[in-house]
Amino acid sequence: MSEFEPKIVGFLCNWCGYAGADLAGTSRLSYPTNIRIIRLMCSGRVEPAFILSAFENGVDGVLVAGCHPGDCHYRAGNNYAEKRVEKTKKLLDTLGIGSDRLRLEWISAAEGEKFASVIKDFTEKLRVKGPSPLGGDFEVEAAAVQHNSTESIHDIMKRTKALYCQECGKCSSSCPITRLDPLYSPRLAVEKALMGLEDAVLTDKGLWSCLTCYLCRQRCPLDIEYDELIRTCRAKAAANGIEGNCSHEGVLYSLSRLMAHPKTKQNRLDWIPPGAEFTKAGDILYYVGCLPYFNTVFDDIGVKNIEIAQSMLKILNAAGIKPVLLENERCCGHDLSFAGDQESFEKLAKMNTTALKKTGVSKVVTTCPECYRTLKVDYTELFGKQKFEVLHASELITDLINNGKIKFEGKLDKKVSYQDPCRLGRHMGVYDAPRNVITSIPGVELVEMERNRENALCCGVSAWMGCGRHSKQMQVERLTEAKNTTADLLVTSCPKCQIHLNCALSEKLPVKKEEVSIETCDLSVLVARALNLTQTSTAVEMISR
Amino acid sequence: MSEKPSVLVIGGGIAGIQASLDLAGRGFQVYVLEETPTIGGRMAQLDKTFPTMDCSICILAPKMMECFRHPNIKLLTYSELKEVKGSVGDFHVKILKKPRYVDETKCTGCASCTEHCPIEVPNEFDMKLGMRRAIYMPMPQAVPRTMTVDRENCIECGLCAKVCRAGAVDFTQQPQDIDLDVGAIIIATGFDQYDPSEIVEYGYQRLKNVLTALEFERWVCASGPVGGHLLRPADGGIPKKIAFIQCVGSRGRKLGTPFCSSVCCMYATKEALIIREHAPDVQVSIFYNELRAFGKGFQEFVNRAREEYGVKYIRSRPGEIREDPNTKTLTIWYDDTLTREIKALTGVDLVVLCPALLPRPSNKKLAEIAGVNLDDCGFFKVTHPLLAPVDTNVPGIFVCGYCQSPKDIPDSVAQASAAAARAAEAIALVQVQRAPGGTA
Repeated sequence: MSEFEPKIVGFLCNWCGYAGADLAGTSRLSYPTNIRIIRLMCSGRVEPAFILSAFENGVDGVLVAGCHPGDCHYRAGNNYAEKRVEKTKKLLDTLGIGSDRLRLEWISAAEGEKFASVIKDFTEKLRVKGPSPLGGDFEVEAAAVQHNSTESIHDIMKRTKALYCQECGKCSSSCPITRLDPLYSPRLAVEKALMGLEDAVLTDKGLWSCLTCYLCRQRCPLDIEYDELIRTCRAKAAANGIEGNCSHEGVLYSLSRLMAHPKTKQNRLDWIPPGAEFTKAGDILYYVGCLPYFNTVFDDIGVKNIEIAQSMLKILNAAGIKPVLLENERCCGHDLSFAGDQESFEKLAKMNTTALKKTGVSKVVTTCPECYRTLKVDYTELFGKQKFEVLHASELITDLINNGKIKFEGKLDKKVSYQDPCRLGRHMGVYDAPRNVITSIPGVELVEMERNRENALCCGVSAWMGCGRHSKQMQVERLTEAKNTTADLLVTSCPKCQIHLNCALSEKLPVKKEEVSIETCDLSVLVARALNLTQTSTAVEMISR
Repeated sequence: MSEKPSVLVIGGGIAGIQASLDLAGRGFQVYVLEETPTIGGRMAQLDKTFPTMDCSICILAPKMMECFRHPNIKLLTYSELKEVKGSVGDFHVKILKKPRYVDETKCTGCASCTEHCPIEVPNEFDMKLGMRRAIYMPMPQAVPRTMTVDRENCIECGLCAKVCRAGAVDFTQQPQDIDLDVGAIIIATGFDQYDPSEIVEYGYQRLKNVLTALEFERWVCASGPVGGHLLRPADGGIPKKIAFIQCVGSRGRKLGTPFCSSVCCMYATKEALIIREHAPDVQVSIFYNELRAFGKGFQEFVNRAREEYGVKYIRSRPGEIREDPNTKTLTIWYDDTLTREIKALTGVDLVVLCPALLPRPSNKKLAEIAGVNLDDCGFFKVTHPLLAPVDTNVPGIFVCGYCQSPKDIPDSVAQASAAAARAAEAIALVQVQRAPGGTA
């Protein structure tokens, strides 16, 4: 059997790393041919997404090489590279690929020898370590159900009831995107489809602007399923090679797709707080979702998403419940599904359903409304009725409060407003459960924003798609509305709402900070705080900036 | 049927009144069953009628009085239908007459009891915008002109009985069963208004300056809760901009009804004209979907509204209404579908929603009692929509007005006359069959 030859991708900066490699070549130094070099202007250009994408494509190691600290030709690009590589290493560890498959080196233009020795050393180490768990043949088992990109536009219109459109304009005048960007409107999308202009529908940039926030569907008198129409058309467009403008360079899609690999073996339970308990078999399963990854990716905007999972686990423990946690739980696939990658979504759906079925639990609780919708609606659509009941944390906590399983002692003097996540509210119709939880905490006063419940404004981005000027405008609008309630705390029950609103707060805004600055917090974290289960209150740390 | 052949008319609105007068004029004994204390129905609530702009009550009140005074008509107001048995020519009907606690034969309608009653409750006739007392007459033109005690709200202080010089107040009245034998039955139960508070984005009941069309009719009516002055409901200010939104709950597939209520385009135009006549400087916009001006003189009426009165028609179903929390002034977001522009109509003082008009939910019970069929929407079904437009599946039971299908006043009146004629025919046929030598 031939010896294993690792495949390495090298992202080298133009001025140092690449010049170093060049010197190695002109100096006739020999080094292993396992590296494939990609030249970039600066190592600061290397996004975590690039590295993950390389692993997604089956490489065994990635090398990032830039100028020595202080020598960057763009002043601080290599500092960014260092931070990003650090972040990516954490992601690789969680994914089970291993952080030692990623290497950052400072190689100057004069260090041809160093380049050659680094490559030699890296290749040797990878050879000993063996192939990447996700390497090799990336073809995996056929999708669970034939995805419907073959459906004709007329059939899609029929299925989503778009044929009933009266062109009344209620959708477009409700759409938060159309109001900011008239080039996209749900009515025009339907109109084009009605005229049979399939190409126009699929190539429309607006197809990727839609937030699938359900506001148009909520208000449409004809009950047209715009979200489903958009999702199917995106899948169809993607099948034709048209892709949307994804945010974060697609790192979150890469993560989901890597989780869709059947050989993935993640280390995702390192967040369990000391003293907290969980089991491998039981009645209730806590589906954590992508929180361990979000925690790493969004570390720099100050959102500690993993606190949501830690709080939820502590709340469950406080109620005498030891939940089942999956060691190798995979992404629910929601974002891939709404980004047009139906195939990967269906793979994830199949693997998750199988894993959940194996545990034999009767209830699955989620803290993320997107997991909630996907497990409850989309998986059921794919595989029929599930044996377990899917609950959102707010619903389960309401039950626990009503049954006296958890009791609040002491008061939490806070004025609180609540942001309805679109997946939990309009998609699933859960408006009261989170409000019941908030109002049952002694001392907490709930004040509603002007647009609430069915009318609530989306946090600005969904499915990691097209975050831009309009998203920021919506976030500023929403934060101003929250601020106008005079609440101290903006509670949401979706980790993504919290990420997006905090992202806006961490950036330069066209308004004064004090007009929008409000502390945000997840519902589970709020409950854990009220139950005195958390020592630190990150929420307070977060927005005192 | 030993005496005069008789007919029961269920519903004392304009359709029921017309059918009753037609039949009474032919010599039939007519019983008019009405569940509220007065006949008149929805038409009595309207300010004006399209396309002639007649004062609604001015043309209706004489007909109501004619009904009351006609020797062949007996009004059974404040009553309910309990049972129908028998068949054409020989129906046995049980009616429950609810106690008014006022003797109809003694009460003169002088209203001195009302002046003394200490209890005030929202008046249903004024769409709960105005108040009435616990002893009340729903409207000044009520027929019969008799007070009614609302025992749910009455505190039984007895003041009304003390001040009544006719001695008409009688708290010992009991529900009364009435048995009738009639040859035919005409159903004319009219419509109810869809409650648009379900359509949360329009903020009905959440936003004070949002009214429904029937509320607006009472609001601008001279005998209404504010004496016919055009005011902002939130603060009594003078409005400068008023907007109408059509198809609120109608022509939908999710909330409300799938059908078109058929009268909204025209009454909105009429109400726009009323506004411009009240205050010519008020800017009026009507948000419509398809302008259904289908009747005689209707398109001309709309043209007049556009040209002479400057009413603005905008083709759109607005997305949402938002309120300035301080001034209570409204902003309507809409997509002008003809120009494809997303716009906001700002500074709107009053929004009038034109909700779907529904067949009454009580039709279901009535259909069970009488054994007639309803369609999916709750309208009474006729045996053939083209060739038997007033005949139900039960021979001898006929239907007319909005409870059969959406229609306006002229069509309701025409259909009422048709139902009266068919009822007369059915009775005549039975009489011939039962006569000596007849087939039965």
